[in-house]
Amino acid sequence: MGATLTSVLTTLMLKIDHLSKRYNDTLAVDDLDFDVKPGVVTGFLGPNGSGKSTTMRVILGLDHPTKGRATINGKKYAEIKSPLREVGALLDAKAVHPGRSARNHLRALAVSNKIPLARVDEVLEFAGIASVAHKKVGGFSLGMSQRLGIAGALLGDPGVLLFDEPVNGLDPEGIRWIREFFRSLAQEGRTVFVSSHLMSEMAVSADQIIVIGRGRFITQGSVDELTTTAQGTVFVRSSDPSGLAALIAHDDGVVLQNTESGLTIGALTSDQIGTLAHSAGITIFELTPQRASLEDVFMNLTAESVEYGSARPEMMHREH
Amino acid sequence: MSTDENVWSSTKAEWIKFRSVRSSIMGVLVFIVLTLGLGALITVAVRSHWHETSPVNRLTFDPVSTSLAGTIFAQFAVGVIGVLLISSEYSSGSIRTTLAAVPSRIRLASSKLIVLTASILVISEIVCFIAFMMGQAIFSGVVPTDSLASGPVLRSVMLAGIYLTLLAVFGFALGLILRQSAACISVFTSLLLVLPIIVLFLPQSWQNTITKYEPSALGRAMMSTTAPAQLFGAWTALLVLAIYVAVTLSAGVFLLHRRDA
Repeated sequence: MGATLTSVLTTLMLKIDHLSKRYNDTLAVDDLDFDVKPGVVTGFLGPNGSGKSTTMRVILGLDHPTKGRATINGKKYAEIKSPLREVGALLDAKAVHPGRSARNHLRALAVSNKIPLARVDEVLEFAGIASVAHKKVGGFSLGMSQRLGIAGALLGDPGVLLFDEPVNGLDPEGIRWIREFFRSLAQEGRTVFVSSHLMSEMAVSADQIIVIGRGRFITQGSVDELTTTAQGTVFVRSSDPSGLAALIAHDDGVVLQNTESGLTIGALTSDQIGTLAHSAGITIFELTPQRASLEDVFMNLTAESVEYGSARPEMMHREH
Repeated sequence: MSTDENVWSSTKAEWIKFRSVRSSIMGVLVFIVLTLGLGALITVAVRSHWHETSPVNRLTFDPVSTSLAGTIFAQFAVGVIGVLLISSEYSSGSIRTTLAAVPSRIRLASSKLIVLTASILVISEIVCFIAFMMGQAIFSGVVPTDSLASGPVLRSVMLAGIYLTLLAVFGFALGLILRQSAACISVFTSLLLVLPIIVLFLPQSWQNTITKYEPSALGRAMMSTTAPAQLFGAWTALLVLAIYVAVTLSAGVFLLHRRDA
């Protein structure tokens, strides 16, 4: 690789191109448009029912898009000759015939994509389920099924990996294992796309996060970017709370809370509030910027998507 | 050898899947036991009561279709095998894993069809020939027998196996359309069992027209050495049944191609 590494990496990409998916009356995915780049773990975050799984299903060609398309390395999934060698996916760990053994399940997958059968034992070993490989999948716990799904995703040693809610059902040891696993896959230059409805999980396992709500794109960025660009609040104690509140409202600020102890203000920085107070001759006793946690950001972002049905322009923070 | 995926690799995968679940193995065993077991039971019963059989019944007696009587029951076993080949993928959700590995739905359907047709055809032909020979051996000395040296006899036994294979494919086609095992099996059973009963309530002139188009009547026509007056000839019956199956299968593959998984 060496010199060609960069060009290889830029082509190893998952591209969602103005994708919409409608099921009867429900618009599950509404004009999603983003890229998932190789070399990092990209989190796909949204509340339940926000269209994450639908997007994953369209990427894999399981559901037909209503508009737009999803491409992997420039091709639609159905056009890839040996899909398991390019894309590994774990959508639903229980999507396996319960009467088949784990090994036979993987063997059939391997044979269908001309993957050497020796690889089956390798991935079984890697996923830590080699000892139950001959057992029927129907008797597996959710955690074991997740591991089997991961084994299946790795079977073709693919450059692009998709995981839909992979930590569900895993024990703490498994969660830790899977986080390190995602990171190592990304470090190898692969594209890793992981969905979750759990903000806290994404905060520790993803480098980049794409947030959607109600099928729409809300924002995209690193965990740090999301928490810093998201407007934190400022807590103020002053000599004239009601006067300051009026000034703030006049200056496009938002008084979120007005209590005995002080004001909680959104949409203005502490510098702006300090300047306002100074110009009106109000004495400031305390001025504390409160940085939003990723959880707050997520709640705010998705709440807005519900309230306005679209993202506010200043929340848009896309990378190109 | 190109690394491109082709029907052969997905067919090998479907073959692994087919023989690695108990439902298909059990289905095949039930099919074999029903065809041979009931064939033996019925032929033994006929032999032991031959002395009291009326001259008219003796005249119209067909040693071939009698020895193949087990297929009347076995047709449900093969139908269920065909249904489950696809409906179990939907009930377990494994269709998503399957389609992720083989995104071309036409190729997937072809592979499943090849596995189903090849395995059921081979087993059916073997089982039907064994049932025939076993029946003749049981009849021999008491009841009139037929020999495979006769053209119509050979044809009947051969078409019995083809009839069962077509029914398995029909079950598969229903599975592609309806996706749910219970719904498919109900429709399959209704067409083979209930439809003839409903037709019995129709006026006689209608019955004469409709009966021969019933799938089970087509099967009787295919398996008998002498074409009964009200039914199609054996080859015509095969053609009509093949058209039913082809139409249903086309609809099923079309829906598989068009619908979300």
